[in-house]
Amino acid sequence: MTVTTRRNILGAAVAITIGCTGLMAATVAADYPAKPITMLVGYGAGGQTDLVARATARIMSANLGVPINVVNKPGAGGAVAASELEKSANGGYTLLFHSNSVVNSAPFIMKQVSFTPESFEYAGMITAYQVGLATQKDSPFSTLSEFVVWARENPGSSYGALSPEARLYIQEIAKKENLDINIVPLKGGAGMMNALLGRQVVLAFSGGIHYRNPDELKTIVSTTTFRHPSAPDAPTIEEEGYPLGMDSRTTLFLPKGTDRAILDRLSAALKMAASDEEFKTFTASANIPIMYLNVDEAYKEMSTTYTKHKGIMEAAGLSAQ
Amino acid sequence: MDHLMTGFMDVLNPGTILWVAAGVTIGYILGAIPGLGKATGVAVAIPLTFYLTPVAALGMLIGIAKGSAAGSAVSAILLNTPGEPSSAPTALDGYPLARQGKAQKALKMGLFASVIGDFVSTLILILLAAPLARYALFIGPVELCAILLFSLTFIGGLSGGSLTKGLIAAAVGVFFATIGLETETFIPRLTFGLLELEDGISLVPMAIGMLAVAEMVNQAGNMKALDREASAISDSAAHEDRVITRAEWRRSLPVIARGTLIGSVIGILPGLGASVASFLSYGATKNASKTPEKYGTGMIEGVAAAESADNAVVPSSLVPLFALGIPGSVIAALLISAFVLHGLTPGPLMFQQQPRLVADVYASMILASFIMLIIGYTCQRLFAQIIKVPLRLIIPGVLFLCCVGAYMETGSIFSIYVMLFFAVIGFFSRKLDFSFVTFLIGFVIGPNLEFTFRQSIQLLGSDITNLKHHPISIAFIVLTLATAWWTGRSNSRKAVVK
Repeated sequence: MTVTTRRNILGAAVAITIGCTGLMAATVAADYPAKPITMLVGYGAGGQTDLVARATARIMSANLGVPINVVNKPGAGGAVAASELEKSANGGYTLLFHSNSVVNSAPFIMKQVSFTPESFEYAGMITAYQVGLATQKDSPFSTLSEFVVWARENPGSSYGALSPEARLYIQEIAKKENLDINIVPLKGGAGMMNALLGRQVVLAFSGGIHYRNPDELKTIVSTTTFRHPSAPDAPTIEEEGYPLGMDSRTTLFLPKGTDRAILDRLSAALKMAASDEEFKTFTASANIPIMYLNVDEAYKEMSTTYTKHKGIMEAAGLSAQ
Repeated sequence: MDHLMTGFMDVLNPGTILWVAAGVTIGYILGAIPGLGKATGVAVAIPLTFYLTPVAALGMLIGIAKGSAAGSAVSAILLNTPGEPSSAPTALDGYPLARQGKAQKALKMGLFASVIGDFVSTLILILLAAPLARYALFIGPVELCAILLFSLTFIGGLSGGSLTKGLIAAAVGVFFATIGLETETFIPRLTFGLLELEDGISLVPMAIGMLAVAEMVNQAGNMKALDREASAISDSAAHEDRVITRAEWRRSLPVIARGTLIGSVIGILPGLGASVASFLSYGATKNASKTPEKYGTGMIEGVAAAESADNAVVPSSLVPLFALGIPGSVIAALLISAFVLHGLTPGPLMFQQQPRLVADVYASMILASFIMLIIGYTCQRLFAQIIKVPLRLIIPGVLFLCCVGAYMETGSIFSIYVMLFFAVIGFFSRKLDFSFVTFLIGFVIGPNLEFTFRQSIQLLGSDITNLKHHPISIAFIVLTLATAWWTGRSNSRKAVVK
């Protein structure tokens, strides 16, 4: 008896929802947003990306006039959250704030992740990750070419890697220059800092956290296509002659099929955040450069980096596991 | 020192004291409620830090961190459901004490040991952060690997009745810890295509299922007997069962001192954590005792050992953050968010950029220790009443809170399934007398041991003779062999006596 009643109510609710969605579809863009927005974050609460997401959500919320609830869905480098977004309704009320690496790198590393740039819509990008190779301030080399010379004279040196991408860089360099380097696996930014400061490794791949200790650590090369604002004198890996620059940026993802007008509205709010004074102070102290991209630029960035990263990783013989 | 005085001036105003007290209270209550704990505290605290002044935000976060570490002893003692894995050894002796009508005594000892451990460790952080963090850097993966091996062997001795069953449970724990992405090349192990398993089984829902849910199911099975006991004993009327006697203090103080030392050292080292500290301290106390067989039946020293070490970890895990910019724990990561939100680069730069704010943090940490004593003492009288409540009213509430706690960390139903899965395993391990303590230790230490071992192979260039450059490591390997030999010998003796 109860079961039937419950099913009836459920059925009615579904019918009403479907009906309303149909009616609203036509006018949705004009009065968007009309209710609170859920912002998924693919990393745990308290991390760097989560912080940027929350700071961004706060400013966007003021601009859009509706609350934005930040919900952390950590797992598989953001793939869990992205899969959830994929299944969400495309009314613009569920979005994902995450590194675009979940689309432009993860599919080439993890077999269970198969996103392409066409899997989502994008409402812009706001900050970039300062990924590069870091070493101790007093180490005998300051550039990548100096490192290559040093490593040739000192075979069996140790390099710290956080991820398959991190291994890719040193493997490619070692292959080209015929070097003998031990790759030591490290876990997270904390493990990387410990290994560098404790001099267990001579060089490590860093996501940017090493800028917290500028008295003791330095960047020898950025593995992005741009020079790091925190270390403008360190050349990029492409300037050094290796075509391996890979960028990742925090991006606003929306489910496939979201109205373009909604994307533009969100992108305008995102731009407000990018130029907000408080946001600037906060990102500066966390060494996170703001590099705002609007909707069109975001789509372009997504498809070019996807093709480029795919090429780099396939050429390096990295296969999705 | 001058800065510290300024710090106290900044902190000792009603506004800030209120936020620190609010943090301690939230933390203590969340810690005391089975199923909820630090992870829930984090979720509550993060959004709030955006709206508070830096000093208030930092004070509150520190309060939550310290409060939840101390509060988790309450549910461990009263309900045998530790709020965090690190309080599991507290329950080993705390719960039997509570069943003997000595709940108040056990709670008091838990609180005093927590506060002393926390306070001393805070002083260590303030006075010695920079030099200690330098020393800790000598402990690289090769040394850590040996220390972990030693910890696993040493704590393995805690297996209870049968060494064989203890070892089996530990091996099963290690097995479950292998699930997820392998750390060097990201090859998924035993994930069965589930994205949710790529990062491995999360400790929080696993521990809630294993420790809290399984225990509640177990108690539901004995409900009548337990209720009858409860109405008979409830709370002992004898004064000496409510307070800690002078003789007990004399026995417990050296135990607390050792626990504090263990906790402070473990907190500074990378990747070990509060669970390892409290189990090591409990194990060391049991081994040093003349009557090790009495542990597990209600020894007040057991509570003192576990809680002092558990709480000493919190302040000392901030040492690498302040001195070097390395986030050593969940709480350290949280404080980082509060720092950067207010325009501070966490790490050694803070001392140059904002010495005053650092002093404020130090002052609020000391303040939080004292507030913890007051809040804990007051709340305990209330919490202690729970032992009089019939179990049929407690169990459903606890199960509900367990689901909330498991859900909170990842925000997904999958975590609740994980919790239920481990509740089943926890239930049968209780029924068949397999130690869930060694299971947990295997789960926590196993993956770190594997990881540091693989790091060591690379660092030593696959040549074991290179170990000669790592004397600390050799010392711990020798200690491990000695422990294994000693455990085996005392075990075979026991068998002969039987």
